[in-house]
Amino acid sequence: MASLIEVEGVSQIFETREGLANWALWQVSMNIEAGEFVCLIGPSGCGKTTLLHLIAGFMKPSEGSVRFAGAPVGDPGPDRGVVFQEYALFGWMTARQNVEFGLRMRGMAKAERRERAREALARVGLERAIDRYPHELSGGMRQRVAVARALVNEPRVLLMDEPFAAVDAITRATLQDDLVRLWQQTGVSVVFVTHNVDEAAFLAQRVVVMRPHPGSVKRSVIVDLPYPRQRSSAEFARLYADIGLALGE
Amino acid sequence: MADDIQNAHRLQMETAFLDARRSARRRLILLRAGLNLCGVAVFLLLWESVPLLFPGINKVLFPTPSVVFATFWPMVTSGEIPTNILASLRRAGTGFLIATVLGIAAGVFTARSRIAEYLTEPLLHGFRSVPVIALVPLSVLWFGIGEGAKVSLVATGAFFPIWISTFIGVRDVHIVYLRSAACLGAGRIATMFLVVLPAALPLILAGLRQAMAISLIVLVAAELSGATSGVAYMMSMGHQLFRVDIMFIGLMLLGALGFIFDRLFVMLTRRLFPWYVN
Repeated sequence: MASLIEVEGVSQIFETREGLANWALWQVSMNIEAGEFVCLIGPSGCGKTTLLHLIAGFMKPSEGSVRFAGAPVGDPGPDRGVVFQEYALFGWMTARQNVEFGLRMRGMAKAERRERAREALARVGLERAIDRYPHELSGGMRQRVAVARALVNEPRVLLMDEPFAAVDAITRATLQDDLVRLWQQTGVSVVFVTHNVDEAAFLAQRVVVMRPHPGSVKRSVIVDLPYPRQRSSAEFARLYADIGLALGE
Repeated sequence: MADDIQNAHRLQMETAFLDARRSARRRLILLRAGLNLCGVAVFLLLWESVPLLFPGINKVLFPTPSVVFATFWPMVTSGEIPTNILASLRRAGTGFLIATVLGIAAGVFTARSRIAEYLTEPLLHGFRSVPVIALVPLSVLWFGIGEGAKVSLVATGAFFPIWISTFIGVRDVHIVYLRSAACLGAGRIATMFLVVLPAALPLILAGLRQAMAISLIVLVAAELSGATSGVAYMMSMGHQLFRVDIMFIGLMLLGALGFIFDRLFVMLTRRLFPWYVN
């Protein structure tokens, strides 16, 4: 059976501010399976976010093909939920209205989508903040709403672009725990972009290490540690060193 | 037992603390209102005493507040002032509403279509640079002094700030909002009404507020150059009859109307858009 996401010989060209051609990605190929948790890690300019945007359908590759569930990726859609770094919640809608948005676009009846949104917010531990506006929520709570907003549409894959980069370290650890739990409960695939070695080692079944100029895959590190992972364990330390080494090579 | 005492003590402190905060806030509100009134009273007193301080001053050219009020009140009870206020408000309101609809539509259209933007760019910016007051004599020649001419002058003046701020607001909507809407399955129309316009709202509101001030200016210019009713018409009558007190009443009415509508606008936006914090 084919993989959920198939990236084949993908290159992406950009114009730099100086007017030069720059390859954000150069002949990148990888497959991501249904239910798999993959982290893309690398320094800025390695094309990890570009790759995520190609899967989401925000842009078309300059060369090569990106396929999702057997078909070429078209426009963005609710089958590929995206969680952005920040500022992506609609500030003029309450937490519940944000989560309801995708269901509303599908034409779901009001009573049903209210109930689904309430459940989705309860799953991320936010039933008490249901009628608050984003500006009344902390950074961590906002990202929980963003995750609930993507998951309520029951996507096949969750595309996450450094979603926890802007929250403090303590909140980040809780958000990571919750993400692992939600991933295990729902069976969704996750493609998670980060530049944080600890985060990749804690979350992923496979860590794809990328390099810049031009953006390409350097190495793939398979992680076979069980969940939930213990940061204090010797295996975790070894894994952390492995990924760090691959980044530094 | 000790815990109970602790808890009771804590609760007592909390109530006392919150009560103190509440009454401090109340005091501040009273102080503000009181000082506001004092400021106005001091101003009126100073004004009233000008003829005493400068004995040579012509009281007809510079009427005191008591004289102005003595003229003002009969004009209110006779219905002259309310009629003129209503006539002015109807013109300004109609023109402003027309400008709101057309300005927002034009702003959205030029921000979303590059062809529309490039086609209209020089025209809109050129016309925008012409002070609308300069169009008043032409409007009188073309359309006379009817209601339609005044309403369209107000609408023309109010249109440009609404158009330009809507254009900027819509053009600069953060791409993350658009991407979020797209990957949640929103189509073009849903994205426009549920995402783009609310995201652009702070700028649109700023444009509307500016347009309100301009509406008043254009209204006065239009009424001064020929009208049979309205606050500025009343002033120009006062001018011809050499009644400076009536002209003063007009000035004060214009100040009050501008102030009241600006406050109303701010209150209304707070009520309608609770998520929008300045």
